[in-house]
Amino acid sequence: MPHDQHAEPDFSDDPFEARLSSALHDAGASFDTDRAALTAAGAAHGRRLRRRQQASVFGAVTVTAVAAVVGGTLVLPGGEGGAAGQPAAPGTSVNPTPKPSDSGVTEQQMITTLQKLLPHGTVSEQTGRGSGEKPGYSATASLVFDDGKGPAAVDVAIDHVPPGTGEAQQTVQCPDKVYIPYDSCTTDRLADGSVVMLLQGYEYPDRRTDTKRWTAELITPTGQHVSVNEWNAAQEKDAPVSRATPPLDRAALTRLAAAPEWRTLVDAIPQRRSHGLADTQEPGAPVRSTLASLLPKGLAVVGRSSDETGFGYLVVDDGKGASLVQVNVQTGMNDVRDQLFDSGSEELPDGTLVAVHKEPGEKGGKGVVMWTVDSMTPDGRRVVVSAFNSGSQEAAATRKTPALTIAQLRKIALSPQWWQ
Amino acid sequence: MRQVRADEYAEFAAAQAGHLYRSACLLTAGDTHLAEDLVQETLGRLYVRWSRVARADNPAAYARTTLTRTFLAHKRLRRSSERSTDELPETAAATSDTPLRLTLLQALGQLPVKDRAVVVLRYWEDRSVQETAAVLDTSPAAVRTRCVRALARLRALLGEDIGEYARP
Repeated sequence: MPHDQHAEPDFSDDPFEARLSSALHDAGASFDTDRAALTAAGAAHGRRLRRRQQASVFGAVTVTAVAAVVGGTLVLPGGEGGAAGQPAAPGTSVNPTPKPSDSGVTEQQMITTLQKLLPHGTVSEQTGRGSGEKPGYSATASLVFDDGKGPAAVDVAIDHVPPGTGEAQQTVQCPDKVYIPYDSCTTDRLADGSVVMLLQGYEYPDRRTDTKRWTAELITPTGQHVSVNEWNAAQEKDAPVSRATPPLDRAALTRLAAAPEWRTLVDAIPQRRSHGLADTQEPGAPVRSTLASLLPKGLAVVGRSSDETGFGYLVVDDGKGASLVQVNVQTGMNDVRDQLFDSGSEELPDGTLVAVHKEPGEKGGKGVVMWTVDSMTPDGRRVVVSAFNSGSQEAAATRKTPALTIAQLRKIALSPQWWQ
Repeated sequence: MRQVRADEYAEFAAAQAGHLYRSACLLTAGDTHLAEDLVQETLGRLYVRWSRVARADNPAAYARTTLTRTFLAHKRLRRSSERSTDELPETAAATSDTPLRLTLLQALGQLPVKDRAVVVLRYWEDRSVQETAAVLDTSPAAVRTRCVRALARLRALLGEDIGEYARP
């Protein structure tokens, strides 16, 4: 009943979810390929990556101002054991989580707080989960509350959501009614700047039972997130409807979610390593016009995308044939830093990582090559500039190499203008 | 790589390649070419880090996490010739297939990539909400939000019974 308190998959009580799982397993199992060839290709790719790393280690040490000698050990930026985050698969010791300064929130604190904040009535079947010491986990409490009009399940989950991010916005954004039928949904800003979404909906989107689920999702300006659910039944699923509506009306539900007690508890939960500034920033300048302003002299623009943030391209011609130049500008990309850069990547004094790739074009135009400079700042802002020896990725090559050199692409990628 | 380690890696990669590929096919909504690229990239990264991966409690889970993140890193780049998301990759249509499998892949293809990753992790990898959140480096609340939205969308696209996949 409460939010994901189980370690096991927790969807088996919804027939649709079970069918979906079954359908995915059928569909997944039907895919097969030449595994030996794939394994060999993977190992070959690994050997290439390793050679690239080894070849660049010496250069990286000499040009990198932040490479530091710590206790006699050279700490290389970026790669294995470097500053870049490794994927932290659950239950692996590959990336030991930094020990938080406190031990988080206990199950008992959660339950006691929920009981204290509920109006007059009886409570039973209290369960919960502490946040533990792992950063980023939520703490939960759930119980059955009866104000005298029938038992009702109530649960609360608290965690921290980086403020100003898409995730924060999405949490308090009313869902599209096309997908989730509900009776009412509102999003309001409270006097302290918190935003709260109140959703009066149903346990099952298809309303196969009349179990109502009312939800409050509240996020404070500093990213404290409180999620409260209440039902008009003693359990979330598989319990008869016990009353016409859940016990707390909109005002009472808002009061419960907005209680300062939760915020104190959220602050005690160890936070995931900060994603940094980037999460709060909109991705920079309009891409196509910025790219145009950064092009070297002597190139005619013969094709262009619309001018928006995030992505854009130009087709340029230096007199020797068309060349497509495309740019992606992204923020909040620290979660995939490790997939994009390795110890073969260059690290600039300010911590920005730069990777250069020369590859065949992705879309299969005959003889097309793609030269890419990928860059990311320590706070996760990424600019990727790719140039092709063709006016389009699908068309055959129109020239031997792209119209811009790697050095020129690098200069474009590292321009501060993307963020102005 | 020393020989013992190399043998260990080869054994691990051979054992995992099939599952990684199938996961990649679902993540890419049936784009088998991209799926092969993603698995190759994933196996390459595991090769480079093998001495650490081998010491992990669960190297297989580590491999799947790497695959998911490689997929997300790839999919978040837009291309000048990008297909719209509601168009089925032709590679899936080209395989001999049941209409329902195609429908499922097409429906997956209509989900935003992170929502699709949540669905694949939860219902194909059978991961818990907490584990899914850890793989995607996000909060459990965000996983729930994505999951509810994705399920509602899939319900609308596939129907409550998911056609003949429905099992008694």
